[in-house]
Amino acid sequence: MSASASPQILNRVYDFVDILRDANVSISTDEILSLCNALDHTTVDNRRIFKQTLQTTLIKDYTDIPAFEKCFEQFFLSRERDERIEEIQSEALGRRPNGEGLSAAENRLEHELGDSMDSYLDSISEKLLLQKDAQELLALFMEEMEQAGSSGGMGIALFKTRRSMFARDHSEDEVPATDEERELYGRLLEMMRGRSGKRRIGRSIKNHEQYLLNKYIYQLKPHEIKEMREVVKRFGQKLKNRISLRKKRVKHGGIDVKRTFRASLQFGGVPFKIFHKDRKIDRPQLVVLCDVSSSVNQYSRFMLLLTHTLQSLFSKVRTFAFIGNLVEITGLFMEMDPERAINSIFNDTDFTYGWGSNYGRSFDQFMEQHSDSLTKKTTILIIGDARNNNQDPGMNSFIKMKERSRNIYWLNPEKRHLWDWSDSIASLYMKYCTNMKEVNSILDLTEFIDRLFIK
Amino acid sequence: MFTSIDDVVEALAKEKYISSEEIATTVYLALKMEKPVLVEGPAGVGKTELGKCIASALDIDLIRLQCYEGLDEAKALYEWEYAKQLLYTQILKDKLSAMLENEKTLSQAVARLTTQEDVFFSEHFLLARPILRAITGSAQSVLLIDEIDKSDSEFEAFLLEVLSDFQVTIPEIGTVTAAHKPFVILTSNNAREMSDALKRRCLHLYIDYPTRKLEERIVSLKVPECGQKLTHDIVKAVHKIRELQLKKEPSISETLDWAKALVVLGYDVMEHDIAVSTLNCLLKYEKDIELAKKHSKSIFIE
Ligand SMILES: Nc1ncnc2c1ncn2[C@@H]1O[C@H](COP(=O)(O)OP(=O)(O)O)[C@@H](O)[C@H]1O
Ligand SMILES: [Mg+2]
Repeated sequence: MSASASPQILNRVYDFVDILRDANVSISTDEILSLCNALDHTTVDNRRIFKQTLQTTLIKDYTDIPAFEKCFEQFFLSRERDERIEEIQSEALGRRPNGEGLSAAENRLEHELGDSMDSYLDSISEKLLLQKDAQELLALFMEEMEQAGSSGGMGIALFKTRRSMFARDHSEDEVPATDEERELYGRLLEMMRGRSGKRRIGRSIKNHEQYLLNKYIYQLKPHEIKEMREVVKRFGQKLKNRISLRKKRVKHGGIDVKRTFRASLQFGGVPFKIFHKDRKIDRPQLVVLCDVSSSVNQYSRFMLLLTHTLQSLFSKVRTFAFIGNLVEITGLFMEMDPERAINSIFNDTDFTYGWGSNYGRSFDQFMEQHSDSLTKKTTILIIGDARNNNQDPGMNSFIKMKERSRNIYWLNPEKRHLWDWSDSIASLYMKYCTNMKEVNSILDLTEFIDRLFIK
Repeated sequence: MFTSIDDVVEALAKEKYISSEEIATTVYLALKMEKPVLVEGPAGVGKTELGKCIASALDIDLIRLQCYEGLDEAKALYEWEYAKQLLYTQILKDKLSAMLENEKTLSQAVARLTTQEDVFFSEHFLLARPILRAITGSAQSVLLIDEIDKSDSEFEAFLLEVLSDFQVTIPEIGTVTAAHKPFVILTSNNAREMSDALKRRCLHLYIDYPTRKLEERIVSLKVPECGQKLTHDIVKAVHKIRELQLKKEPSISETLDWAKALVVLGYDVMEHDIAVSTLNCLLKYEKDIELAKKHSKSIFIE
């Protein structure tokens, strides 16, 4: 296991880090350094070891592992994978892939051109990047460079390449392109292909994620729902980090006299040990009530998944699910992962009893059995379409819920113009809510949660 | 010290720990790079066991710090033995009185006493807890910080300081720097997310449930009485059961329990009825057992 981290390998690895970053995986300089370090100790000949070396040094959040695997597969195991891995391996042995070396001036020129290409690719829209092939992108790049008026070695190189391109498109051209020009063109095209391909991998993974986050939840296909769970967890995690950063941390409160005194008793009343009060951070208490009937089931599932991920941001989270009856599911969430917890609710027969949602009865039951969960610090979050199947709305209980809590927010997955239509009694409840809001996508859900912490 | 990744695999196997190439890679790198490892994964996949086996494979001390809510520096690093200090002041009362006899004012007495306070704040009265022991040890040790997700974030911040320079300042004594940096392994069942700063300092290892092949090897190693055929059947069934929507998936230790039970009962192949009647070795919740029974045909008979 000799030192294998040659500059060429490092370049490949930097490319890979860029791809991961494009795919929304955050990687710090520390981690890149540690990877470079690690490459001195392992070998690139064994794909599993090579992959684990990357993973163990770069990926610190296990929810990023699926994204990492996709990126690795596409970057190292795609069409060009054999070339890439071979290239790395041959470089490890000190061979150069293309035989001849480049002169120092050529090297510098290539470097300069590469930088310009990078900044060009950074500047263009995602759509352009994903739709155009390398040849088209190169043409666009050259146009741009010409307009910017490049001079010196770079100007000449671009001019020559343009002639070669032009000659290719109009075969009966007056000035035939020279071999040198053709070669230059080939090399630029290669550079563009590498760069744009690299960017596409990361972006397309990220785009897919964005697409899922923005998609109407009721339109998600079954296989997307599965993927979505991962995305929600990941996104929730990021949201959590962001919110925790935003919160000011107060290290200690004052001295906890009671505790200090109590502890001093065993030492004859001498306060050897001073206890401080726990630091106070404003963590809201949350009560979540989810309608899990089939019309809004998927929304509730994602919301539960999200609040579960964010649990530590709240001082207390209590979770209830209802259709015809209401049950507390806080405990379930403590013993198993949220997806399972939700599934197990549906195996419970008293719970599914009756036809359709009964908001009124559920609110009554909440006030009768669980009103202890409400304090003036509690934020109540209700998810449902307020379709009460023409039953008693339980207004008395709902008004009490409002009076005994700080806020009631209602997230309604239904389009606004359908509120109050048929058996929906949205406005009736809305009067007593701090806010009733239409939510369509995961992004809506997370934005809402995010805002809870801004005040 | 391990000489290669293969060497890690072999040395751990000698300690009856079956490691994948991935696990071995991270362990090897962490030792070479002198970095802590954060091991995450579901309960019962062998995180704690890994730490123990590394210590015995390297033939060095294992110092384990089990985390819990409210764990603080006093329990992790050091504590003054107040009671002992108090006892000594009682015993030495006469000596102290004699010493202070000639001091006229209270402040003079205090000043006099202060010149002697080193006696009471010396190593004699210091109770070293796991982290301090790992730092002051006369040889390298494995410091296993188990289930860090159960501790509070304040503790994590403190740990980060220790991990960055392996030195600890005890105001009354001075700064202690590790002569031999311990090899630090942190484990977490993901009850809580660790801070970015801590994760950046560590190599990361995610251990998931093992592949069938690996789990078969673990069973044959730990329950050698369990024949090849039975081992194969057990592991195959466990993997199918893990795919059900259970409250709690069976972990490796449950697989091992099940294997032992079947051996004790004298079976060498798995039959449907036996499997169903012994499911309680594998699954802890009544609901999960019912669910597995519901699917028993597809689990135990092709
Ligand atoms: N790779 C392995 N090789 C051998 N035994 C293992 C392995 N993984 C797990 N085990 C067994 O499973 C049991 C549970 O492992 P443990 O380390 O306590 O899990 P965790 O700390 O991840 O919750 C251990 O007693 C050990 O015997
Ligand atoms: Mg453990």
